[in-house]
Amino acid sequence: MKRALPIYAVCAYLFLHLPLAILAIFSVNASRFTLWEGFSLRWYRALLADRDLLESAANSLVIAVAATALATIMGTLAAYALWKKTSAWLAGSLYLSLVTPEIVAGISLLAFFQWIFRYLHLRLGMHTVILAHISFSLAYVVLVIMARLRNFDVSLEEAALDLGATEFGAFYRVTLPYLAPAIAAAAMLAFTVSIDDYVITSLVAGVDSRTLPMVIYAMARRGVNPVLNAVSTLVVAGLGTLILISERLRKA
Amino acid sequence: MNRRRFLARIVKTAAIPAASAILANCNSGPRLNVYNWSDYVAPDTVANFEREAGLRVRYGTYESNQEMLAQVLSGNSGWDVVFPSADFVGPLRDLGLLAPIRHEWLPNLGALDAAFRHPPWDPDLRWSIPYMYGATGILYQRNLMPQPRAWADLWDPRLGGKITMLEDATEVFGACLKKLGYSLNSAEPGELRAAAAEAERQKPLLRAYLNAEVRDQVVAGDVAVAQAWAVTAAQAIAAAPDRLAFAYPDEGFARFADNIAILRESHRAEAAHRWIDYLLRPPVAASIVQTTRTATCNGAAYGLLPASLRDDPVLYPAPDVLNRGEWFAPQSTASQRLRDRLWTEMKSS
Amino acid sequence: MIHTNVTRLRTLFLAPAALLMLATLAIPVVIVAAYSFLSRGAYGGVEAPWTDQNYVRLLDPLYGGIFLRSAWISLLASVGCLILGFPLALFIARSGQRKNLYLALVILPFWTSFLIRLYAWMFLLRDTGLINTILQSFGLIHAPLPMLYNQGAVILGLVYGYLPFAVLPLYATLERQDPALLDAAADLGASPLRALFHVTIPLSAPGIWAASILVFVPCIGTYIVSDLLGGSKTVLIGNLVQNQFTASRDWPFGAAASMILLAAAIAVIVLMRRSRQELL
Repeated sequence: MKRALPIYAVCAYLFLHLPLAILAIFSVNASRFTLWEGFSLRWYRALLADRDLLESAANSLVIAVAATALATIMGTLAAYALWKKTSAWLAGSLYLSLVTPEIVAGISLLAFFQWIFRYLHLRLGMHTVILAHISFSLAYVVLVIMARLRNFDVSLEEAALDLGATEFGAFYRVTLPYLAPAIAAAAMLAFTVSIDDYVITSLVAGVDSRTLPMVIYAMARRGVNPVLNAVSTLVVAGLGTLILISERLRKA
Repeated sequence: MNRRRFLARIVKTAAIPAASAILANCNSGPRLNVYNWSDYVAPDTVANFEREAGLRVRYGTYESNQEMLAQVLSGNSGWDVVFPSADFVGPLRDLGLLAPIRHEWLPNLGALDAAFRHPPWDPDLRWSIPYMYGATGILYQRNLMPQPRAWADLWDPRLGGKITMLEDATEVFGACLKKLGYSLNSAEPGELRAAAAEAERQKPLLRAYLNAEVRDQVVAGDVAVAQAWAVTAAQAIAAAPDRLAFAYPDEGFARFADNIAILRESHRAEAAHRWIDYLLRPPVAASIVQTTRTATCNGAAYGLLPASLRDDPVLYPAPDVLNRGEWFAPQSTASQRLRDRLWTEMKSS
Repeated sequence: MIHTNVTRLRTLFLAPAALLMLATLAIPVVIVAAYSFLSRGAYGGVEAPWTDQNYVRLLDPLYGGIFLRSAWISLLASVGCLILGFPLALFIARSGQRKNLYLALVILPFWTSFLIRLYAWMFLLRDTGLINTILQSFGLIHAPLPMLYNQGAVILGLVYGYLPFAVLPLYATLERQDPALLDAAADLGASPLRALFHVTIPLSAPGIWAASILVFVPCIGTYIVSDLLGGSKTVLIGNLVQNQFTASRDWPFGAAASMILLAAAIAVIVLMRRSRQELL
């Protein structure tokens, strides 16, 4: 068994990583079919020429950055408040948002927006998507921050208060720096979850807020497309680099 | 660590105003939001219009009328121009979602083929302008023996796992109704249930329910027989001329026409009309047909086409073939509900 | 402690999140619940009268079949993740210094796009995809194997997508186990395999439960996996709901199905929490 385990592990890692590696290999295949016909960057060139694709990628980034920023801020504050004194309602609803299947969350948000837009004269767009993304990222942020807060020595804050700091000052100067790595991790998590979301986004997106997953999904439904291989490789490479950088920063 | 956190905070707080700036920029300038079927314009059609009219066009695509309707139904979707099929024009109009078309703003209206000047679904062309038409038939691999000629051939167990049907209740039930010898637009519950039973019998043989998405899969050889629109078939055959063929089924088939319509929620009526007029221009319509291989409702454009396209039997079949076809008619509410329910039940089985 | 300040600051900190949750979770769920008791509009949307027909319709064995199929597929996916994930978690937990590296290698694909990873399998499993092409070129098969657009492909997609979800809690439990227990088992004459089955696995029970839920609950509501890999022929609850809001235009029915799905997800979590300690 001692030898079986590492062999199994290798197989398991191959299972996890090989499909993506194969996509990357075939993204530089000159042929559109599964026969290797030589190295070519034509699919990447086609990618860069596709206005719809580039615009959706830009939308995805904007939405992810905005949603991450707001979710991290709101989530950190909420986690701190919950740590001080729990609120069954908020904790319960955060838990519920984690458990709710994406399709249910999506259609309920759609129903809500359509109902409220009868009175507000707005329409589906970037703002509805960002709102939806904050909504499902919040629980993840709170979880990560609370996990870190559990190991926090509250006497540090009390010491600050004894020394004359205000409540907010104690939070800002003592607790927040302690939370910094968790905040970074939570932001990373929120960003990844936002940039990858399809189901909820597709339901609440409007005319001007088509995201990259929506474009990928439409292309995937049409079958295999070498341009999609190129997109996949770039996305995986991009996110992978981002994760590696954040890991390095965390350890710094 | 302090510096990094400080930097991170700066970036985050700067991100939101930056994002709003980008958003604001994207929405500036006169624009037009067009929602069309996929692969229904030439690669340069939109760009040329943008240059000529000085407008920015947001061009979105959909794969089914239902997809378009789901967005448009709210009355608040953000789209200006949509391309409903003939049997959806009436319902959209009845729901108050369409804006009337002003013919005086369409100098090229005369280019329309005579057959489409007074279509049954909109005799005065008050709400829609016919764009492209076609039929639903069978797209298949030529090396299949025997070659499919009728809807019944799509129930052949030997082809199991390599058949696809359209992801559309009206189309699938239409084929089943025709197979059983009934009318496409039957509202008889007995006939509809029989058709649904046929569809359910076929389901285990199917690979998937796909609309235009099936084109690449047929070209690649993954699918042997597909219920497909003539336009999808023509595009597929153009990509693989010696391997694929299209048949108009013997029992009869559905004919459809896609029309251009302006949504009532749109505040850009003038720009929308300019777009419609642009599409009616014979050279533009002809160039679209050259890439998309559709059958155009534009008579003048038809005259500009090369003979190879004009005589294409897939797009422009002989009159005796066309006579076997039947136009889709809008359904009564009761019939619509029954069809929707049968579709859900059939798909869930 | 200065209580009044704490409470005011706390309320201030809590407010944005609470408002957001109210607007994007509480109110929408109430709206969907309301929709589930209304009737459908002719072309979509909802209208009066109030009715319970949507729920009655769900009692039909046809839809019960969908729920059972979804639960069954989710169960298979969970078991698959457990079987594939446990040895991997075991390997990582016992790998000494390189633990973090191996763990990162598991998490990395999970952090990249779920959709893209599904597409990768479409690329591999198609009739003219890589696997069939390789098998055919080696003469192992003569006609392509239909590996896509069936239930098996859906389960494969689910396992591939959620495997990291299973590995993490399993690793967490295994890592905490005292190696001295295994030494004791060896001293008492147990072979490594026996020790695995009689010591390690029973001790990992909390991790196994956590891994099962973390996989089962998302799987039961899945929509894109069955749509892309099952070819819209495999209808699971998620597909049924989505269908009602687009093609079939029966919003109230879709709303009713959503409420049942939501209730099922909550029920699974509650049951698990009752029988085990704090998992998350």
